[in-house]
Amino acid sequence: MPVFEVFQQAREGKAFEHGGNVVAPDAEMAILYAREFYGRRQEAHRIWVVPRECIVEINDPDLLHPPAVDRSYRTVGGYSVRDTLRATRGAVAGSAQPD
Amino acid sequence: MVATVDTVVEDPAMIEEFVKHVQSGGKVESGDWMPEDYRKQVLRFVEMHANSELMGVLPEREWINKAPTLKRKLALTAKVQDEVGHAELLYRVAEDLGKTREAMLQDLLDGKTKFHNVFHYPTYSWADVAIIAWLVDAAAIQSQKALLDSSYAPYARTMQKICWEESFHIKHGYDMVVTMMNGTRQQKDMIQEALNRWWVPLVHFHGPPTMAEKDRDLYYRIKAKPNFVLRQEFFSKYIPKILELGLTIPDPELHFDTEANEWRYADPDWNELKMVVTGHGLKTEDRLNLRRLAYADTQWVRDVVMG
Amino acid sequence: MSDTTITKTDTKALHTLLTALADDEFILGYRNSEWTGIAPMLEEDVAFSSMSQDEIGHARLLYQMLSELTGVPADRIAYARQPEEYLNCLLVEHRKLDWAHAIARYFLYDTADHVRVEALTRSRYTPLANAMQKIVREEKYHLMHGDMWMKRLANLSSDSRERLVVALDSLWPDALGIFEPLPSEEELVASGVLESSMSQLQAEWLEQVAPYFESLDLPFPATKDESTGRYVPTVEPVYGGRQGKHSPELAELWDEMTSVYRLDPEAVW
Repeated sequence: MPVFEVFQQAREGKAFEHGGNVVAPDAEMAILYAREFYGRRQEAHRIWVVPRECIVEINDPDLLHPPAVDRSYRTVGGYSVRDTLRATRGAVAGSAQPD
Repeated sequence: MVATVDTVVEDPAMIEEFVKHVQSGGKVESGDWMPEDYRKQVLRFVEMHANSELMGVLPEREWINKAPTLKRKLALTAKVQDEVGHAELLYRVAEDLGKTREAMLQDLLDGKTKFHNVFHYPTYSWADVAIIAWLVDAAAIQSQKALLDSSYAPYARTMQKICWEESFHIKHGYDMVVTMMNGTRQQKDMIQEALNRWWVPLVHFHGPPTMAEKDRDLYYRIKAKPNFVLRQEFFSKYIPKILELGLTIPDPELHFDTEANEWRYADPDWNELKMVVTGHGLKTEDRLNLRRLAYADTQWVRDVVMG
Repeated sequence: MSDTTITKTDTKALHTLLTALADDEFILGYRNSEWTGIAPMLEEDVAFSSMSQDEIGHARLLYQMLSELTGVPADRIAYARQPEEYLNCLLVEHRKLDWAHAIARYFLYDTADHVRVEALTRSRYTPLANAMQKIVREEKYHLMHGDMWMKRLANLSSDSRERLVVALDSLWPDALGIFEPLPSEEELVASGVLESSMSQLQAEWLEQVAPYFESLDLPFPATKDESTGRYVPTVEPVYGGRQGKHSPELAELWDEMTSVYRLDPEAVW
């Protein structure tokens, strides 16, 4: 029997999160059972029901966390402005003399 | 994403790396490579858990009909529904490890697989329902917390869902016990009598003390804590709560040893546990028969929809 | 006359209506929870349990409404009466642990109840109209579930079709009992508490479900009277429930249901 993965949106506008899965002969029954197992406690604002075969997984660390090249330029933490800023402020304060 | 069995002889280096991975907190998903021993161990563990949730329904279901107020009826129906739901979630996890639900249900009905000891015992009164909903669920939650970080990630995630859903069960059970202990003489006596019968099964609940080194479930980090730790945690949390209601615990040896920092209790008959777990408990055959008959009667329905 | 003014005559008739509605849901909820642990699939176990909780919840809502009118606590109304004081229809009191019968009974009840509930959303008794507006939305799920199974049993195999046909055939007479005329129904219609008589509601129901049965090629025991345009059943209804005349199954059910309650009706559980 096909497996259907179930995604729940807890509140309006939030991201859909994977909650688990159900097994059912077809989509109509999968929808009803998804509501039972992932929605009967009114814990979902919306639910997506997706046949497992439609989900494609990427799990290769070489693709997702390639190790060699420094990629910190892509992150906030890759920039440290503190010292340069201090120097710039100092220069601005030093040159701001009334005429 | 379903685990497959490799017929190739397993590379010891890969196994060693896998064990290091799980022992240091690493996770395994259903489609990942895993040693056959690990796969079998997780499957066995989850299958027993699923069986227990399902068999746990049977002692309680007859009391849904007899619940004495509308609120209690609704609450008990919802609690038991959750348990059936949890069985389904757990069978799903197990199925992705390579055993079909039909095979698991058939093995359960044929008496080939185990389920938890407490569900072999009879229920005699509404007070049993209250004690089970409070203390048996509490014991179960103690175990379940130790599974939240299981190395097998689909199981860990299911446990997180289960723990969240069960939060009302204990509250509801506690509410029932406290209400009756605040009630008539007859109600108080019923609760004490039920506790007298359920105490030993509760002590048995977390299993016999196993040598941590021999515990494969600990080895693979399927579970995080050994049996005796879970039992002590359960005692520390619930014995004071039981006593403060004016109940007596039917074990004159029970006391907290402050030097050893642990609860001392009369060693329960572990043989009784063994007998019960291997299917010879008082109500086991009755309950399995009920399921067998129902399963056979409804085979035509499954045949029709599953094609 | 304001919407919430209840004259003395209306009061007893209104109580009877509320009791019948509540008892239908209460007893059906009881029967549906009997599938717990033994349904054909675990998924259906959970689904039936949800629907059972809906029904008990609806019953509770209605018992609470009655409680406000009479001063008797809702739990006492639910548990302290004798079997002959329950006013549920006979359809809901039978234990149905064959799947085809359970689905057939449920479908007949839910579709009939839907017509009744929908009409009551327009009741001149505002608390009842409000309650029914909430209830009608919860029924969507039940109708979805019923349709899902009716189609499959009717179409997936000749064996399942045969079982469904036999079940429906045995249940139609009791199903017509849902619309057994209520005592003092005329007063309820006159005051607008009921929009139309039970007989009219039955005709509406038959009109609504006839095409569905036809689409599934299932026997339909009613024909359209050309002169009135109304559907008329071709089988005899089984009445009695609304007068408190029940089958032995209700007495058995009552005995079990009230066994803990009767240990001490004054106790708090």
